[in-house]
Amino acid sequence: MKARARRSLAAAGVATLVALTATGCLQNPNEAGGGAAGLEGHVDNAQTDGDKVVTILGAFGGVEQEAFEESLVAFEEESGIDVQYTPDSDFTTTIKTRVGSGDSPDIGIFPQPGGIAEFVDDEAIQPIDTFLDYDGLDKTLVPGFLEFAQFNGRVYAAPMRMAVKSVVYYPKKAWEDAGYPESFDTYEDLTKFANQLKAKGETPWCMGWESDQATGWVGTDWIEQFVLNGAGPDVYDEWVAHDIPFNDPKIVEAFDQFGDLALTDGNVLGGTKGILNTAFAEASLPMFDAAGPKCWMERQGNFAIGFMPERITANLDEEVGVFKFPRFADGYEGEPTLVGGDYAAVFNGNDEDVDKVMEFISSPEFGEPWAASGGWLSPHMTFNANAYPDDVTRKIADMAYTATATRYDASDLMPKSIGSGAFWTEMVRWVDGQPSQETADRIESAWPTDGEEE
Amino acid sequence: MSTTVTEDVTETPPGGEASAPRGANWTKLGGGVLGMALVAWVAANLFLSFAYYPGWFLDSKILIGILALVAGVGGAAVLFYFLNMAIEGLPERVSQGLMPYAYLLPGLGMIALMLLYPTIQTINYSFANADSTEYVGFDNYAAIFKMEAFQISIVNNILWLLIVPAVTVALGVIVAVLSDKLSAQSEKISKSMMFLPMAISFVGASAIWGLVYAYDSPGEIQTGLLNWIWTMLGGDPVTWLQVSTARLNSLLMMVILIWLQVGFAMILLSSAIKGVPEDTIEAARIDGATELQIFWQVIIPQVKGTIITVFITVLILVLKVFDIIYVLTNGNFKTNVIAVLFFNKLFADGQAGQASAIVVILLIAVLPALYWQVRHFREEEANR
Repeated sequence: MKARARRSLAAAGVATLVALTATGCLQNPNEAGGGAAGLEGHVDNAQTDGDKVVTILGAFGGVEQEAFEESLVAFEEESGIDVQYTPDSDFTTTIKTRVGSGDSPDIGIFPQPGGIAEFVDDEAIQPIDTFLDYDGLDKTLVPGFLEFAQFNGRVYAAPMRMAVKSVVYYPKKAWEDAGYPESFDTYEDLTKFANQLKAKGETPWCMGWESDQATGWVGTDWIEQFVLNGAGPDVYDEWVAHDIPFNDPKIVEAFDQFGDLALTDGNVLGGTKGILNTAFAEASLPMFDAAGPKCWMERQGNFAIGFMPERITANLDEEVGVFKFPRFADGYEGEPTLVGGDYAAVFNGNDEDVDKVMEFISSPEFGEPWAASGGWLSPHMTFNANAYPDDVTRKIADMAYTATATRYDASDLMPKSIGSGAFWTEMVRWVDGQPSQETADRIESAWPTDGEEE
Repeated sequence: MSTTVTEDVTETPPGGEASAPRGANWTKLGGGVLGMALVAWVAANLFLSFAYYPGWFLDSKILIGILALVAGVGGAAVLFYFLNMAIEGLPERVSQGLMPYAYLLPGLGMIALMLLYPTIQTINYSFANADSTEYVGFDNYAAIFKMEAFQISIVNNILWLLIVPAVTVALGVIVAVLSDKLSAQSEKISKSMMFLPMAISFVGASAIWGLVYAYDSPGEIQTGLLNWIWTMLGGDPVTWLQVSTARLNSLLMMVILIWLQVGFAMILLSSAIKGVPEDTIEAARIDGATELQIFWQVIIPQVKGTIITVFITVLILVLKVFDIIYVLTNGNFKTNVIAVLFFNKLFADGQAGQASAIVVILLIAVLPALYWQVRHFREEEANR
């Protein structure tokens, strides 16, 4: 009997331990409760609430991170909140993994609002109207900026940085010596001027697309500019939303118009080969060649200043001139500007500290130290323009503040398979000689069918 | 222990056939299972507490890291100790049969989890839609075979397969034989030089060769080595990696992989050639064979095994070639290969279904080479 007793003891021990193993594990003290983001509910993450620590995940690092952290110092001292920023160059993938595994940060700073959409569907993001003064923001922000982050009728993220992409740079000293005009009313005037330059044996445009795996995005920005300025913002919206096909005649026309600029012999330094073999960061260098400009204009985003040589940026206002890429005489009648922006979204909706941080970074008061260090523009029209380091930056910011129609970079809003796939690669083929119609047809045929992709 | 055994043997009907084989030892079995469960429970909770209560560990990531390492490795050791104990507690016949599996299964299980499961899941997903939520039958396969990029990739992969392994092995043999004729010192130096590229990553090598193939507009200073030579000879600068005529750009990228792999081929082949018995060569010389005849009819047959091994290794490497093309052209200008196409389908386009289908095709293409390699190794072993 002794053995039997021992046997049943062993069996009982095993049974209890199995039960213990199955049920006796630690429970998450910060378990998300419900998680639904209705008007009442709050999305929540695994971070401790109310502990005066707010974690932020973003894409920018290095100098930009330093400037961002510097912008938060005064706020942190005043509020006693410790903001911990983690940069991740592979932000898009990391944020997906972390949210999927229940380890989301309090705040995520998205380089494109398009990335927010899938988290909205998963109810992982708190709409900003529950903790920010929506109307207040709407008044001071550049019109359109809140709409870019609108999904299913609600806004899920607040802009905290603006990029302006309709900037044309020129080498100011040589430009003024030659007595060239400071700006152009219409694209037709600009074309006329470019042709005069060409007649003089000069090359009007600098252009560089080469960007390793991402080669082609510079071209997509150009096409977006031509669609926006030529066909107008309404067509632009339909194009982005795929309410009109990609190979719509209006879009193909934009390709052809841009082709007149980029593919005509003598218009661009190095011709089509030069376009594909010049790194986008080096495109502006020939403008500042010691022997005088080898090409005279570059259209690029405000970030391009960062790629100019130090002897130029040290003296930016005297060396570099800017004007906005002009509207078309027979195109959209207002002042269109192509923009981009970083968006802060909240994954932890029931932490007052997070709300305070969001309130600050989405306010017009945020960012003066960052603005001073350069490369950062506030999306608020009421931002203190004196904080910008130079007139060039002020002028670029004004291009967005005074625009009558701002539109977000289309390739960032389109499905990934287009915006960072077919649109890029087909632009390369297009420069390489593929006709506009065929290019647009091929992108259209690559567009994901409904349900195939979000 | 002895008393327990006899008692068990007499009392348990199934184990009670004879006294020779040891029966079940319930204390050991129970203790072992209990210990395993306890270890698993403690370890699981420890790891959970790392995540939920970092405060218990002074919020120190280093402390948590060290504890995790100790608990992970130590826990595994203790777990195996109890596993061993539990199995020893089983009746001897069962125990002996089970023991090897007890130690093998965790390893096999990991392999299954990390290798087999993803493979099966990939095949499964290749029949599903872009975000793997619904089955679409053979639609993905139909789509990729219709895709122009896929056809280009297949042609390119075949070209890579035909050219790279053969040229690598040929160059490897030539270098090995020639360096064998050098003095000991210069052989060492020349071999080291040949082997050096092996230490460079594919991406690094692509960056280096990207400079060789770089293009500057006519009239500018040519920073690309090839264009510099080309213009010195009177030509106009060429955008080398964009010339798809006769697949020149693909060929130029193959040069990079060959450059990387010749060193590997040479090292293996060189040692094989050195292993060729001197008396066979001596005998051939006495019979009046020329050096060329000795090479073809004495040395080559004796290093054939190594040649095939190197050939197959490079062949499989070439099937997976990715980095060079991804970095230099991203598959543009008709240089695409299956691996790059797959990557872009999955990570740029988000088309999980089609990407899986492409990988399945790649898998099927690799299988014969793998089979050939395994069979070859077996033959080698058998001949030894």
